[in-house]
Amino acid sequence: MFPEPSLSPGPHHLNRTGCLIKISDNTGRGVYASQFIPKNTDIDISPVLLFSKQEYENHGRHTVLDHYTFKWTEGRMALALGLGSLFNHSDPPNVTYSLDIRNDSIRYTTARNIHEGEELCIFYGHNLWFTPAKPSSQTCSEPETDDGWGGLTVVGDDQQDEIMDIPNPYADGDTEAITSEEDLPFIRLKPAPEEEDAQSIQTVQAWVVDVPDPRHITTLLKWLKQAGLDGPELGHLKRIRKHDDLTSLLLSTTADPPQPPEDLNLPAPYLLPVPTSAALTLPSLSLKSALWPTMYTPRRKDEPEPWTRGKVAWAWNAMKRTVGAATKARLENDELPIAAHIPAPYDDRTATSPLPTFIAADTRRSTRHPLRHASIIAIRQMADYRASQGLDPPPDDDAPSVDPQSDPKETRNGSNYLLTDQTFFVTHEPCIMCSMALLHSRVKEVIYLHPMSKTGGCGGSACLPMLKGVNHRFTIFQWKGTTKVTAEDIRIDPTIDV
Amino acid sequence: MDSNDHLKWMKEAMIMAEEALAAGEVPVGCVFVRDGRIIAKARNRTNELRNATRHAELEAIDCIIADETLTPEIGQQYPLSKTTLYVTVEPCIMCASALRQLGIQEVYYGCGNERFGGCGSVLGVNEELDHPVHKSYKATGGFRREDAIMILRRFYITENANAPVPRSKANRVLKTEINPPSSPH
Ligand SMILES: [Zn+2]
Ligand SMILES: [Zn+2]
Repeated sequence: MFPEPSLSPGPHHLNRTGCLIKISDNTGRGVYASQFIPKNTDIDISPVLLFSKQEYENHGRHTVLDHYTFKWTEGRMALALGLGSLFNHSDPPNVTYSLDIRNDSIRYTTARNIHEGEELCIFYGHNLWFTPAKPSSQTCSEPETDDGWGGLTVVGDDQQDEIMDIPNPYADGDTEAITSEEDLPFIRLKPAPEEEDAQSIQTVQAWVVDVPDPRHITTLLKWLKQAGLDGPELGHLKRIRKHDDLTSLLLSTTADPPQPPEDLNLPAPYLLPVPTSAALTLPSLSLKSALWPTMYTPRRKDEPEPWTRGKVAWAWNAMKRTVGAATKARLENDELPIAAHIPAPYDDRTATSPLPTFIAADTRRSTRHPLRHASIIAIRQMADYRASQGLDPPPDDDAPSVDPQSDPKETRNGSNYLLTDQTFFVTHEPCIMCSMALLHSRVKEVIYLHPMSKTGGCGGSACLPMLKGVNHRFTIFQWKGTTKVTAEDIRIDPTIDV
Repeated sequence: MDSNDHLKWMKEAMIMAEEALAAGEVPVGCVFVRDGRIIAKARNRTNELRNATRHAELEAIDCIIADETLTPEIGQQYPLSKTTLYVTVEPCIMCASALRQLGIQEVYYGCGNERFGGCGSVLGVNEELDHPVHKSYKATGGFRREDAIMILRRFYITENANAPVPRSKANRVLKTEINPPSSPH
């Protein structure tokens, strides 16, 4: 089952879980299981040897150490002792690892059941912690090169932020209790007012065809699919209208009229103004449906989703961690104090395999790339992780695809948008570029600490999820100044694009 | 530069869009031109990289900034100030903002983008939208617009190739007539 191409035994190694060192022609020394190891077993805790930043810059990086060391705190580099340096890279990996900063060690844990004879591998990341054994090459088709996308990444949730020690004000109490809007640590930005009078209904011209014989409807619906006209842009409308014995079919918003199959002998399609969005309220529904039958989606946008005390406590911790990463970026790497954070969703807390957490700091200074913003780096890390897990690509933004309004939970691990169901934490309101990147990725909600009134895309300079025409809405929360999560001042020049 | 030059560069962008189509990606391609030569070209890679933000423009920008011969001044704020972009579809809001942050000189595109267009269709990130620091840039559409539309249609047809085959054969015909744009360029 696990072919071992010319494996020769390596040095003896005493290991509680029976891990062996073997030598392969392709990858050199590696770690192999001598017996079945169940999922979630700690297979090794490797102590690390630390090098100061200076020491490493001057000496370490010029030596073979550079293939084995990884980034520690305060710019230091660490060499794992024990088995730690011998795990090879695999994508996806079968072993995860977490840094134990306090005890100067790294813990390696099996990510799934391991069979006897199988090699144990970790995911090196994109030059995040470990330097891959093979030298990186600077070609454009090679995203794994060290192009500064790394920032700070945590896969797993064990890293301690020791920069601040402010107690979570939501830590105690009934975790299921609903928190009132006033007691939330953030304010919800009001969505665009719902269209409730005839003048305010936004419309677009759409092609419609009358179908004298209703038996042709099935054929026509199939044809719509075939012709690529069943995309999400008209998903907020019903396809068929029955009006005084006349059945009509909604075709498209294309510039020119689609041509239905000729053998049906339909009359020529004509243009009709139809609503541009679903109805959120009943008065709006009746106004919109007078133009064309419209979907009614009251729950998603009308009533704010309640926040339980447990979820608020989760959000508070997540924001604190985001601020920790931002502070660290400035103190240790002289970057702008900006960070973005995609924690595992709160609803995943009881899941057997929750999604990992992604944290990224701004790296525009160290990479000399003006667009290495924290948000877009965090999105990229998550996408790279998903790709490494072999998950299906998200549906295309610009292509006809499944209706993104359909139940997101069922498809989250399948073919789905990157950030469906995710809460995105960021220290400062993201710029136009990053806000649109979040919209493209279909984020559920964005929570930021500092507004950027001149450059932000979530209410500052523009509010992208409220623009007419865009096909996704997300909720925006702004942290209240009174709910302290930070001891450091991380404010920045208001003209900066975050 | 006359119109023929623009069409010449746009043809190169179309080649990249064709490559995207062949790879099963939304067919959008672009080239960046400086001093009369192409310094970078790219296409959409959103499917391949599981990332809806990996548009052609951002892919090409990463190549330019990674190349020291193209951005010789270290830490230069506007590395694209002497560079022109040719892209088959109007840059989206994200890319339009990225281009402004890098000080792009000018943009020429094929067809508009009603759903995400950042150069006027949905939001005028290139000039109407105020920015405290970055200067605006001009974006002009309509270059090889028909080609850009046709290749998107071809993508939609292949995308739906798995749909049930209807009885009529008429619908498999790729429509070729194109209405004039709502606003002339
Ligand atoms: Zn940004
Ligand atoms: Zn774009």
